[in-house]
Amino acid sequence: MSVLASGEFWAFVGVVAGIYTILALGLQVEFGFAGLLNFGHVAFMAIGAYTMAILVVKAGLSTWLAAPIAILAAAVAGVLLGVTTLRLRADYFAIVTIAFSEIVRYVATNEDGLTGGSQGTINLAKTGEAADYNVEWQRFEDWLQGILHVGSNDVAMLVLVWACALSATALVWLAIRTPWGRVLRAIREDEDAARSLGKNAFGYKLQALAIGSALAGVAGVFYAWQFAFFSPGDFAPLLTFFAWMIVILGGVGRAWAVPVGALVFGVLFAGTRFFDFVPFTWFDSAERAYLRLILIGLVIIGLVLFRPQGILGRREELVLE
Amino acid sequence: MSPALLEVRDVVRAFDGVRAVDGASLDVHEGSITSLIGPNGAGKSTLFDLVSGFRRADSGTIAFGGHRIDRLPAYRIAQQGLVRTFQTARALTRMTVLENVLLAAPAQPGEQLHRNVLRRAATRRREREVRARAHELLELVRLSRHAEEQAGTLSGGQRKLLDFARALMTAPRLVLLDEPMAGVSPALRGELLEQVVSMRDEHGVTVLLVEHDLEVVMGASDRVVVMSDGAVIAAGTPAQVQDDARVIDAYLGVAT
Repeated sequence: MSVLASGEFWAFVGVVAGIYTILALGLQVEFGFAGLLNFGHVAFMAIGAYTMAILVVKAGLSTWLAAPIAILAAAVAGVLLGVTTLRLRADYFAIVTIAFSEIVRYVATNEDGLTGGSQGTINLAKTGEAADYNVEWQRFEDWLQGILHVGSNDVAMLVLVWACALSATALVWLAIRTPWGRVLRAIREDEDAARSLGKNAFGYKLQALAIGSALAGVAGVFYAWQFAFFSPGDFAPLLTFFAWMIVILGGVGRAWAVPVGALVFGVLFAGTRFFDFVPFTWFDSAERAYLRLILIGLVIIGLVLFRPQGILGRREELVLE
Repeated sequence: MSPALLEVRDVVRAFDGVRAVDGASLDVHEGSITSLIGPNGAGKSTLFDLVSGFRRADSGTIAFGGHRIDRLPAYRIAQQGLVRTFQTARALTRMTVLENVLLAAPAQPGEQLHRNVLRRAATRRREREVRARAHELLELVRLSRHAEEQAGTLSGGQRKLLDFARALMTAPRLVLLDEPMAGVSPALRGELLEQVVSMRDEHGVTVLLVEHDLEVVMGASDRVVVMSDGAVIAAGTPAQVQDDARVIDAYLGVAT
């Protein structure tokens, strides 16, 4: 039977799409609503994941305490980055953020004592000790699985991640409709105009960065829980650009575009992983791997070509100057 | 005479060694309509930037209502009631015309995120007040029909009017208008000018404007300040300034 027919597989794809939703939602707040070109978003996901794992393994904290601290740490890191760099012009800010995310990844790779280094979280504890930050989470998932009467942990996780992703999306959707959101959108449109009307543009951008980074932190915590092990390589810049693709495919400046974009993206990426049917079986597996990437590229080009505003975006907004 | 609402003293601002504003001093008195005129490159727009906090002066002082503002960020100056418009209108294109005006409302507690939860009632009440006022202002500048349209669909002249309405929405004490008539249809110019005058008469708003339309300037201003080469070369009533030989020299290039 094809893997594509297995519910288990699609539950997994759904979990990943849910985590991407939360990650990309943070980017939507920053770019879609405040106009910040953040090319280092993945750094805050890494900070969330690592802070949680380190606090559980090294400080012996409960994961339920470590997780909120980790999310807060991601937000604080966002504020610190913002305070020092938000006064830069948009494109310079973009360069600094990508450098920042690489710094975070290199620190995680090289500070073996703190993060386990390139071997990842398996190396967090002393030699010979198990470095498992996930015991409590696993127990919770089992319990949830029982309550929900579902077949696997992944399905329980699916429900949980999406409950979180959709509530976060709803909250962002609500927030953007408040006078606060109005100021944020005004800053995206024209920072000087907003300042001339008495709005502290810098302060608002900092708030957007804090919220966006906190959401990335949430995504990082879920990622750590889901995979029970991770290493610095998981937080390569590519992930930031996955989040960008989701925001652009879904529609810039639309909260609900994020889950939609993440689902399309998730299906596109994971769903093409197993081309074990005709005509793909005509090719060997190495060729198929490249064929997959070519197809993904073509679909994305097609979407951007025919719906440049994204799936839920408004086309007329693209032409307004 | 009471001290001026706006006092600019010996302000200098250079760009790469070129002194765009070179020791300019001027007063704007409360309740007046003051025009700032001068040939292109005289430093009028730079002076506007300095007064509104969009650029820092290299030296000199600027005081508003008796307090120094020359080191304050632009948004703080605006919050104190000194609000500017721009030479090229700054419409927030992907927001509706109404939202553009709503944005400018002062004292909206909901502009702090947490207060939308903690002070929900106050935020909603203020939003209703602000909405009513915004519709009045849009009526005033004849943009009511376009209230729900994206501001990006407006023409250049309409954007100018939107900018004006937005500035009024902040309930300013002093408003700096940078060429408010530029791009506005001649039919609307007279009306806009009436609005400027009634804003002063009814709401006590002081006005400082840069304008090239000398008819507008001479007709509506109480005082005229003339700049040339970064400095103020003359100031007085329209009649006084019109007869000033230095002004004719600077403005027309030739003395007739």
